[in-house]
Amino acid sequence: MKIENVLVLGASGTIGSLTGGVLAQNGFHVDYLSRTKSGSQKGLEKAMAQARSEVIAKNITCGDYDTMLLDSCSRADWILECVAEDLAIKQAMYQQIDHYRKPGSIVSSVTSSLALEDLPKGRSEDFQKHFLSTHFYNPPGKMLACEICGQSKTDPAVVDFMADFLSSRLRRAVIPVRPEAGFAGNRIAFLLFARITELAIEHGVEMMDYLIGPYTGRIMPPLATLDLVGLDIHKAIIHSLQDHTSDPLHERIVLPNYINEMIASGRLGRKARDKGGFYKRLESGKFVYMDPKALAYVPAFHPHVQFVEQAKQYIRIGMYRQAFGTICDAQGIEADIVKEILATYIAYSYMLIGQVTEEKYGIEGIDRVMTTGFNWAGPSLIVHMLGGKDNAAALLRSQHLDVPASLMQDTVCDRYLFNAGRYFPAR
Amino acid sequence: MNQSSVYILGGFQTDFSRNWARENKHISAMMREAYEGSLEATKIKPSDIKAAFIGNFAAELYCMQGHLGAFFVDFDPAFKGLPTSRFEGACASSALAALSAMAHIQAGHYDCIAVLGVELMKSVSPAQGGDYLGTAAWYERESAGIEFPFPKLFGKLGDVYEERFGLKDEHLARIAAINYANAKRNPNAQTRDWYMSYEHACQKGQYNATVTGRIKVTDCSQVTDGAVCLYLASESFAADYAKRLGQSLEKIPRILGWGHTTAPIEFAAKVADSEGNPYVLPWTRKAVADAYARAGIRDCWDLDVIETHDCFTTSEYMAIDHFGLTAPGQSWKAIEEGMIEMGGRLPINPSGGLIGCGHPVGATGARQMLDAYKQVTNTAGDYQIPGARRAATLNIGGSATTNVVFIIGFSE
Repeated sequence: MKIENVLVLGASGTIGSLTGGVLAQNGFHVDYLSRTKSGSQKGLEKAMAQARSEVIAKNITCGDYDTMLLDSCSRADWILECVAEDLAIKQAMYQQIDHYRKPGSIVSSVTSSLALEDLPKGRSEDFQKHFLSTHFYNPPGKMLACEICGQSKTDPAVVDFMADFLSSRLRRAVIPVRPEAGFAGNRIAFLLFARITELAIEHGVEMMDYLIGPYTGRIMPPLATLDLVGLDIHKAIIHSLQDHTSDPLHERIVLPNYINEMIASGRLGRKARDKGGFYKRLESGKFVYMDPKALAYVPAFHPHVQFVEQAKQYIRIGMYRQAFGTICDAQGIEADIVKEILATYIAYSYMLIGQVTEEKYGIEGIDRVMTTGFNWAGPSLIVHMLGGKDNAAALLRSQHLDVPASLMQDTVCDRYLFNAGRYFPAR
Repeated sequence: MNQSSVYILGGFQTDFSRNWARENKHISAMMREAYEGSLEATKIKPSDIKAAFIGNFAAELYCMQGHLGAFFVDFDPAFKGLPTSRFEGACASSALAALSAMAHIQAGHYDCIAVLGVELMKSVSPAQGGDYLGTAAWYERESAGIEFPFPKLFGKLGDVYEERFGLKDEHLARIAAINYANAKRNPNAQTRDWYMSYEHACQKGQYNATVTGRIKVTDCSQVTDGAVCLYLASESFAADYAKRLGQSLEKIPRILGWGHTTAPIEFAAKVADSEGNPYVLPWTRKAVADAYARAGIRDCWDLDVIETHDCFTTSEYMAIDHFGLTAPGQSWKAIEEGMIEMGGRLPINPSGGLIGCGHPVGATGARQMLDAYKQVTNTAGDYQIPGARRAATLNIGGSATTNVVFIIGFSE
């Protein structure tokens, strides 16, 4: 197997254009196809902006499905499908490319939420043998994670080849995952997002992003992250996890009704800038926040909780463990919320070892996707900052969560991690 | 002068891609992470450290914070009363801290000294930062009212080369491309995930704008937040340390030689000084020659690798002939022959240098020394020069005003 020419389907979209851009940056020739050539050219503009160079344009050819699909498919060594997250649309596209692609060419989808087994149904044996998911994170110029997974008929050698290719040629942090909906990253993150959206009904958007803010081990607050993701995408992922996964915390994967109403009114997040999402930016530059109960925006009230401010002060001077000690020692409803989210993150991550990633990777596979896909501190680092697994186990018990055996057997959390502070902004 | 040996025990570099201002961190957090990482990396104990010397250029300007040595004392209860000092020599600040540490060790004052270089630069806008950097030149004469004074000064260095010997921009572009390519192998390099190619470096346009004169964006080093903490020690301490780690003393590298010169601060005065001299920057050349002499080496061909001060592509172009890879004015030959690339006859900046790895001003000298240590101890990972035994560093402050060269490694 060898990759020189790549075809990106859905190249007008963000993930298609930017992932294609990463390929072009690394010297591969990439065909950008979408419904219209002008759409593909917009994708090229995004790719150049990501690379901060016009030079990569020499490696990219733009076109549309009607005029270029046959030629592009027939010369592509790898066809990367990034079309809309809809089973019927993807299957229709696969039907076409199955006719045109050359035998042995690799076909991958960026999906993580659709059932991988269903996607290539009805396609040729060679297609199915060479079909897999390569789930890039957005934006791929900054987020290096790529979850990779075959389906039952995928040749394991194809998965191994792509894992090596993505790692050695595209500098991706490759995470081999099992064909579970949401794979590893979205499975874990969206359970937490779901709980935070639920808590926002009672405590408000601003308060939730304040309590579970960057100082708890993430570059961006959770509801601000959902505004970036888009609430429509959030809903699709939640539904997929509800329908296709099963585990002891499954009932926590919820979609509060106010989110449906926000979506219905076009309040999808950053992509609907005028309408807003959880946040809305006013012309003055100030933000107002969605009140989930009233479904209206309310002014900022700038929360100030003593233990949060104390933890941030420790973080500001690089004393990270002391910050987490402060959180653990704190009492009250706000402290309980932070402890619940931290404990759930740890419990769920360790619980899913072997279910979403292979057992042999231990917590490191999950650490890798959470750090390189979400810019969150990995769960083992949170355990380390809490003072080790005994302290973490005590936290889980205090939140009525079972302590996974894998947590108590883990040694990764005992290790010193260089540059760990990068995951804990003092905000 | 017979001077006792000074050993280098390794240390730790923060990831130069981090934006500590965006992390909302105080400069002491960066110092603390560098210090704690260095303990983990070297297995030095707090009680081993008898003094701490901090290299920093302008924390008063960037962070409204001076007296940085005092912060080190907070890092461990064992440090109450620890002697600390802060050293400033523009971009050569931490090399000056290391020189001073070396002198204290040789004088028998202390047997193990932490040298910590640090700069937090992303706290201000590029224009403001450029103005602050201008204080490393003669501010009133060379910087005041000029948006980016240092690109201008190092652009002039290229102009002098052009006048005296001829200079092609394509050679400068090659220097940029090599440094970025090397940085991709360095897990702590600021630009390791950035796109770069020779073609891009040659091109002028929206994404590679002209900064001034011949200097484009790709000719410049980076604005970087970063810190490095390393340890220098006496022979007796190094022997005990080696024993503690189950190593032999012979495997711990030494500072074999050093050179330190200060040229007139104004760039025009430097150029005037060099009229009739084969070298464009004779005081930089003298620092190199002094280091060679003190290390007892004949010339650059007794080295395996160089980490030089490529604040701009023109300064690396200058370093190539000043280290003696070519005759004066013929640096282009080394570039065209691939001499300075990984796998070349004498690789320069396998770390990526200031252009690729990054340039937190007050930390750069210490970073170069740490990379030299890594090369000669075969611990540089993917950017290792196979079999390296002797490495040189050149750290310059201002427009090659302060020049510090170290030769690090093994005599044989």
